[in-house]
Amino acid sequence: MTNSIREIRDADFLFVIGSNTTEAHPVIAMEMKRAVRDGATLVVADPRRIWLTEIAEKHLQLNPGTDVWLLNAMAHVIVTEGLVDKAFIETHTEGYEAVAETVKRYSPEEAERVTGIPAEDIRWAARKYATTKKAGIYYTLGITEHSHGTDNVYALANLVLMTGHLGGESMGLNPLRGQNNVQGANDAGATPIYYPGYQRVDDEKVRAKYEALWGVELSPEPGWNLNEMMKKAGDEIRGFFVMGEDIILSEPNVLALEERMNRVEFLVLQEIFPNETMRFADVVLPASGFAEKEGVFVNSERRMQRVRKAIDPPKGARADWQILLDLAAASGASWHHRTPADIFDEFAQHAPNFAGISHARLDAQGEDEDGYTGLQWPCPDPDHPGTRYLHEGRVLRGKGLLTAVEYRPSDELPDEEYGLLLSTGRTLYHYNAATQTRRDPGLDTKQPGAFVQLHPRDAKKRSIRDGDPVTITTRRGSIDAIAHVSRQVKPGCIWMALHFAEARANVLTNDKGDAVTGTAEYKVCAAEVTKASDYTGELHEFRGSHYQAGHAEDAPS
Amino acid sequence: MIQRTDQLPTIELDGRQITFHPGESLLEVASRSGVQIPTLCHDPRLDPAGACRSCLVEVEGQRRLLPSCATPAVDGQKVTASPEHSPRIERHRKSLFSLYLTEHPGEDHPDGVERGAPNKLVRAAKAFGAEDWGKLENLRDDLLGDRSHDENPYIQFDSDLCILCAKCTRYCDEVESVSAITLAGRGSETTIATPDGRSLLDTTCEMCGGCVAVCPTGAMGEKKPKTHKMPVEAELEKVRTTCNYCGVGCQFDLNVDPAAREGGGEIVKVTSPTPAPPPPTPQPRGRTGGSTARTRCGKGRFGYDFLHHEDRLKTPLVRGADGELHPATWDEALAAAAAGLRGVQERHGKDALAFVSSSRCTVEENFLVQKLSRAVFGTNNVHQCAAT
Repeated sequence: MTNSIREIRDADFLFVIGSNTTEAHPVIAMEMKRAVRDGATLVVADPRRIWLTEIAEKHLQLNPGTDVWLLNAMAHVIVTEGLVDKAFIETHTEGYEAVAETVKRYSPEEAERVTGIPAEDIRWAARKYATTKKAGIYYTLGITEHSHGTDNVYALANLVLMTGHLGGESMGLNPLRGQNNVQGANDAGATPIYYPGYQRVDDEKVRAKYEALWGVELSPEPGWNLNEMMKKAGDEIRGFFVMGEDIILSEPNVLALEERMNRVEFLVLQEIFPNETMRFADVVLPASGFAEKEGVFVNSERRMQRVRKAIDPPKGARADWQILLDLAAASGASWHHRTPADIFDEFAQHAPNFAGISHARLDAQGEDEDGYTGLQWPCPDPDHPGTRYLHEGRVLRGKGLLTAVEYRPSDELPDEEYGLLLSTGRTLYHYNAATQTRRDPGLDTKQPGAFVQLHPRDAKKRSIRDGDPVTITTRRGSIDAIAHVSRQVKPGCIWMALHFAEARANVLTNDKGDAVTGTAEYKVCAAEVTKASDYTGELHEFRGSHYQAGHAEDAPS
Repeated sequence: MIQRTDQLPTIELDGRQITFHPGESLLEVASRSGVQIPTLCHDPRLDPAGACRSCLVEVEGQRRLLPSCATPAVDGQKVTASPEHSPRIERHRKSLFSLYLTEHPGEDHPDGVERGAPNKLVRAAKAFGAEDWGKLENLRDDLLGDRSHDENPYIQFDSDLCILCAKCTRYCDEVESVSAITLAGRGSETTIATPDGRSLLDTTCEMCGGCVAVCPTGAMGEKKPKTHKMPVEAELEKVRTTCNYCGVGCQFDLNVDPAAREGGGEIVKVTSPTPAPPPPTPQPRGRTGGSTARTRCGKGRFGYDFLHHEDRLKTPLVRGADGELHPATWDEALAAAAAGLRGVQERHGKDALAFVSSSRCTVEENFLVQKLSRAVFGTNNVHQCAAT
């Protein structure tokens, strides 16, 4: 996030796109609810009706995968109606001309045809966004989990830069991080192209610095990203070390991946629960949960916060950091680290953006006036107070870069054989692979099994009634789930949660990755739904929820 | 925009001149000026309700005492808020809390007064010298969360302890905005309930537990500590930490019974940190308006039982010649892991290895995985799990 969570309440315009915030980031959603109560205008762009669309001024219910059309059309309105911030563009950006030229071809009327959003709504949203000073954009995986996810982000950045909504409170471009420490894992250098602190592995000087620090020769070649690793498994990649991840549940197109995993020669799994990946493991190392160890997580707003040990791990299990030190020693390395605070110091002191942060400083940090603790990076020295929002006074890269993007259709769209468009995502009661939440009695009672949402019209065509067991099939595989007949989804679209090991949505999903990031297209693939012929699972009851308010009208007639 | 202090309006509070920011309530001005006013029903995240009458103050020119939570400060106002400065306030508080105790078991409750959160009513009653005026019969039902009626595993309501301040229902309406619970019934039968008396699981309730967190008396309580006869909150150790679910990074206190699990400790509940005292300077409304830094969702508040689950992996496992995973010592497993990874490296080259790190683990652990991958095994094939 360029900005901070606490600033959301003071925003006057919130543009939420591809984020089901109340379910995936409930406490950020409470700030949004509060802003709306205090008079802010909320616009939600999402293919589904979600909780936030109920309190939104406008719901832009776009067809999945057509974000670039919507965003370029908004830019079209802003450019053609002269709503751009000329001074900001001149002082702080480059590339505006090319974008202005490109978006000329994206008229709201044409956008209506592709996205399904009325042209007038696109115009209204664009004008309101451009003319409101404190206007923030908030997005999540609905933007990035596409084969053109990077284009979606560029298109959003163009809107921010052409309107100058950057470098002040309650504005900016704010990706909400899905997991507790996505930000921290990237910060720490768990990426194939960066050492800690986004220092490139192919930068000679950086490599020399780490070679001197670690006393070894380092590879100058960037590594494979996760999507490529999975596609090369069993061929170029023959050995895996996997920590805290169930790749066989979470990666797209998993049946193909399972087949490749059989050819992997050796896999080490470091985990707290048995999971699907354990079937392929040669060594399993029992690890610790978050309450059983010391360390730091970094949240969505770049805030480094302490994680503290409250209880012991089960007898026999070890803290993950301890296991990694033990494994390094067993592999012949002699590392000097003794404690998480030591490890943190080596991480932070050689990365300029984090150099002012240490365990000791985080522990000494009290709560500020809003009850927040920790430090937001950049924080280059021990006297620096941290950074609430980025790009103040000056864009960090010097000039903010506008990038012209053209719409590219999703990799696999519905056709005669597979007539529906499947998107996947997270729900309020479970969390990703759900190894944790499905072991909690309350969360699991509320949502005990897999379901698929489909529109009454599509259900009727297929003689499916609410609560029927159904089979969902794509070119990659099929799974069974319970039908939720609901107007939450558009006609022609279906939606599934990814949490359930007995009905893995990722058997269905497309593993085509974004050209830049390798992030797979979890949000769009072609699927078909039929009544299940030999359903063996349980017929779950799904207990009360916000979405059932209009349940009666959703029943097929 | 924060105005310069010398331009701000002023009230006289207990004889002191205090500047304020327009929009601040008398309660807000008092609490940041070090004048203690009791309140049971107010929370900065909620609109003021003036329901509990604990915070009444004397305002010059007003015949009746006014609720300070719902009364905005006005320039030149003379306000008396402390019993030391006003016999009327002293009398009011003593009678109010004595009246409350006629409908509240006080310290005689079978589960103790610390059933849920610390009981603010009992503490205030003691502090203001409340007297025993006898007990009234409780005519209210408490079906909400009742074991035979509502099998939700988290939340239970006890009407004996409830003072009908409606903090829970207002939180449910105004902050979580799901309106799963409501005031129901009339007169002396008024209680907290779900629509149609349904189980909380069958309502729009999202199990955020906000009702439990804001309740001043413990009437809205957690079910598990009670049904499992766990120690009360005052006997638990609080460990401040960061939530392990989504990217918001909420702070909370794990409340630990250190003696449980043979001294390994057990998490009994999760509570929000107690707010720090407000800053003494005048505050524009909104800034003090109750940060979500103390607000939780259901996963954060209740989703920790997995840590104590019997399925946890406890023994290292190594796959044997028979193709099955077998228990091993740590030394054996670490040696096997190192040898296996080295073997792949020798047969197929450094870049035949891949390291999948975890965005669920700490910064330190992610740092070590990339260091292991790069410095020990010589490959940049390392990526955290959330990359796709």
